[in-house]
This record gives sequence, C-alpha cells and structure tokens, in this order.
Amino acid sequence: MQSRLLLIPLAALVVAAPVRATVYLSVEQAQALMFPGATLTPAFVTLTPEQMRAIEKDSDVNVLSPQLKVWKSSTGGWFIADEVVGKHDFIPFALALDEHGAVKDVEILEYRETYGDQVRNANWRAQFTGKTHGAPLKIGDDIKNISGATLSSRHITDGVKRLLSTYALVFAQQHA
Amino acid sequence: MPSCLPSNTLERARPLLGTTVAIRVEADDAAAGHRAIDAAFAAVARVHALMSFHEAQSDLSRIHRESPGTPVEVDPQTAEVLRCALAFSAWSDGIFDITVAGQLVAQGLLPRPARAAMPAADACWRDIQLDDANGVVLQRPLWMDLGGIAKGYAVDQAIACLQAHGIRNACVNAGGDLRLLGPGPHRVAIDTGSEPHITQPVLEIDEAAVATSTSRAFGDTGQSAQVHGRTRTGVGAQTCVSVVAPTCMHADALTKIVLAAGADSAPLLQRLDAMAYLHDASDNWSVLGATA
Repeated sequence: MQSRLLLIPLAALVVAAPVRATVYLSVEQAQALMFPGATLTPAFVTLTPEQMRAIEKDSDVNVLSPQLKVWKSSTGGWFIADEVVGKHDFIPFALALDEHGAVKDVEILEYRETYGDQVRNANWRAQFTGKTHGAPLKIGDDIKNISGATLSSRHITDGVKRLLSTYALVFAQQHA
Repeated sequence: MPSCLPSNTLERARPLLGTTVAIRVEADDAAAGHRAIDAAFAAVARVHALMSFHEAQSDLSRIHRESPGTPVEVDPQTAEVLRCALAFSAWSDGIFDITVAGQLVAQGLLPRPARAAMPAADACWRDIQLDDANGVVLQRPLWMDLGGIAKGYAVDQAIACLQAHGIRNACVNAGGDLRLLGPGPHRVAIDTGSEPHITQPVLEIDEAAVATSTSRAFGDTGQSAQVHGRTRTGVGAQTCVSVVAPTCMHADALTKIVLAAGADSAPLLQRLDAMAYLHDASDNWSVLGATA
C-alpha cells in the first residue's frame, strides 16, 4: 500500500473563502430525485406561535423559523426543504415523506466546512506570503477528501424529528 | 462559495450511521450516476439497520436480548463483520474487543439496550461464537458495539455497489472514514481535531481507504470513546491516528488498535498491508507499518 504524508504549509494553501461549501443538490434536483416524474405543488405554511410551541413540546427540538417550505407531490407524499444549525453554520436539507407521513429519504443539500482559525485569519496568512514555492493547493478543488474523527449527525436527526412533529401536528390536520 | 465541480462529478450526502455519509462519483450519464449513488446509500442503510447498537430490530439488538447459549441467526453481512471483529481481537490479543460496549454504556456514550441482561463483568470477545450457518451464540451475557468496524464495512459495501453499477472513480466518506475508487494519487486532508499549527497534514494515497480516530476527549462527557479491550480503561495519550489500508473495514478497526498499542501494532499493520500515521499532542508525526 503506497501512501505518504505531506505537511503542507498553511500559507501554501489557497483558501478562497473562510468557509467552503459543498453544494450537493439544489432544491429542484432533490425534488426530481426524491419524487421522480411527479409534479410538486407548493404548500408553504407560516406556523403560528401556538403551533411552534406545540412542535417544540412534541419534538423537544427548537423551531427556528415559522416559515415552512413544503411541496405536495402528485404521486402522494410531501417534500420539505428545511435547515438545521450545524457545528458552524446552517445545513440545508430535504426531507421526503410518503403519503402516510413516513420518512422516505433525507438528502443533505449543502455542507459548509470551516477551516482552522489560522487559515481564516488573513493577517496570519500574510506573514507567510511569498515564503513558499510550488503550486498552491486549493482546498476544495485539489483536496476534496477529508478524513477525521467522526462528527455526529445529531443536528440533522433532530431536524427530521422536528419536521415529523410538524407534519403530525400541522399538515396531517390541514390535509386530513 | 460553492465549489466548482466538473459537470460529470455528482456528490450527495445523507445522515446515516450516526454521521454524514457523502458519496461522490464520476459519471458520464447523470441519471445512471444518481442510480448508482441511490444503490450505494441503500447498501449503507442496510448495514446500519443490521448492525446498529441503537435500533431495536438490528441483528445486534436481537443477540443482546437472547439468553446465553441460544443461537441467533444473523444476516451474512453481520456474520462477516463479526468474523472480522473476532479476527482483529485474536490478532491484537484482545486490544480490539467489540464487547467494550458495556463500558461505553456505563460512560454514557451508548444507551442501555432495552430488555437485555446486564453483561457479565469479565465477558470478552472469547465468549462470542459464530458457526458456519451464521448462528451467533454467547457464552455469557455481553453487549457488543460494532461502531469501531461496521462504519468501515458500510463504506466498503457502498464502493462495491458503485463498482457493480459501472462506476470507476468515486469516493465514499462516512464522517471521515473514507475509501477511494479509481487510480490515484488521491489527496486526503487529515483533520486531527486540534487547530492546525503551521502545516496542514495531507495524505497522498493510491486507490485505498483512510480512517481516522482520536483518543482526544470530545463532547460533553470529557471522556475518550476509545476503550482498551484488555484493560477496559480509556485509551490515554492525546493521539490522533489515520490508517491507510486496502479496505475501510480494516482501516477503521486498525485505528483503534494503533491508538491503544502504538508501535506494537506495526506487525499487524504490515500483515494487512496498512500504514498508520500518528499525530501526538506535541504536533509530531510518526509512521508505522507497511514499508515504513
């Protein structure tokens, strides 16, 4: 097994923005994948303060926004585009529910990763400018893969739990 | 700022295995690429359903609920992972031991299994027997956690699934344990869990798997999730280790052994054609195994 470790000076790393966002799917792409061939009709909802409290009580998860982006599928089922607060930033995700309100699939739409404080700090990086040679590596373009100790997906699991409560308390009632 | 991927690169991510699983493929036909990704996610979800410690219907939970001495037939995939886990226990003389779940429950890192007898205090991997018909028999009550190996197996299954769909270049990354498909060299940045100093560690690898584990305490408990199978105490030393191996299941399990055994794990790494890169609290790197 051939492998080698490179310790690349941070100054040689080009980080275009302090945060790299990987866009996995647009809302439209997620809709097409999760409900192939179906027509999706917007059924957006603004939750009342009472509904938000009821959802929080039922799911034990904070409701961040009263706006709910929901589409009803012509083939039965629902598509919800929502987001949760991750380690550093919002993580948009899509939830597909079948006609009975059971989870079909969850797709993460976008993931933002923040690099170390030193990389973020432009002044710190400026100290090294011009001190390294060779082609700069771009995190995100040249280095797409990151191996590290596992991060929990708890925030997304909580987000799904909150939306299932929302479905039960708001949607199933309205569209019964 | 969105990253600019070539038009034939598809990447998607789902919450699975208690983490985020990202699958990236190169495909000329986007629809075929998405079908391959769907199938690979399904393969990961299947491993999760079979081998989860938390799910009441998993093979693991069924074994935990059964009385010692009574065989429980498990899925061939579960049997394959159990066989590999027991082999790692034998190779490491018990340093790698899936029966440390009892300690992890006691530390609050895993929930107590429902309707399962308390584990015997001195139960270990030798109390697990697996027959040719994939029947699992426990000699004493014990709890198993496949968290240190099943994630790697799930990544391997996803890669096999992508290959079966004709994909030749791909990466499956289960929250930092990843495997690359296609000719290298591939670059994999290592997130050691500590703030980078003046360098960013990057591994350059061929078509292979990389897994990373740390004994650095995390979360609210302030405890390391790594438990030494023989001593049943937390693995100390503020170390982070990345293992490069042909399969992600081997890479995943080997990280735990290297964290606990350090340089003593070199012969096993060599035997499995693997290399380990250790990062210590003083920001020093050392290399073990294979041709090192």
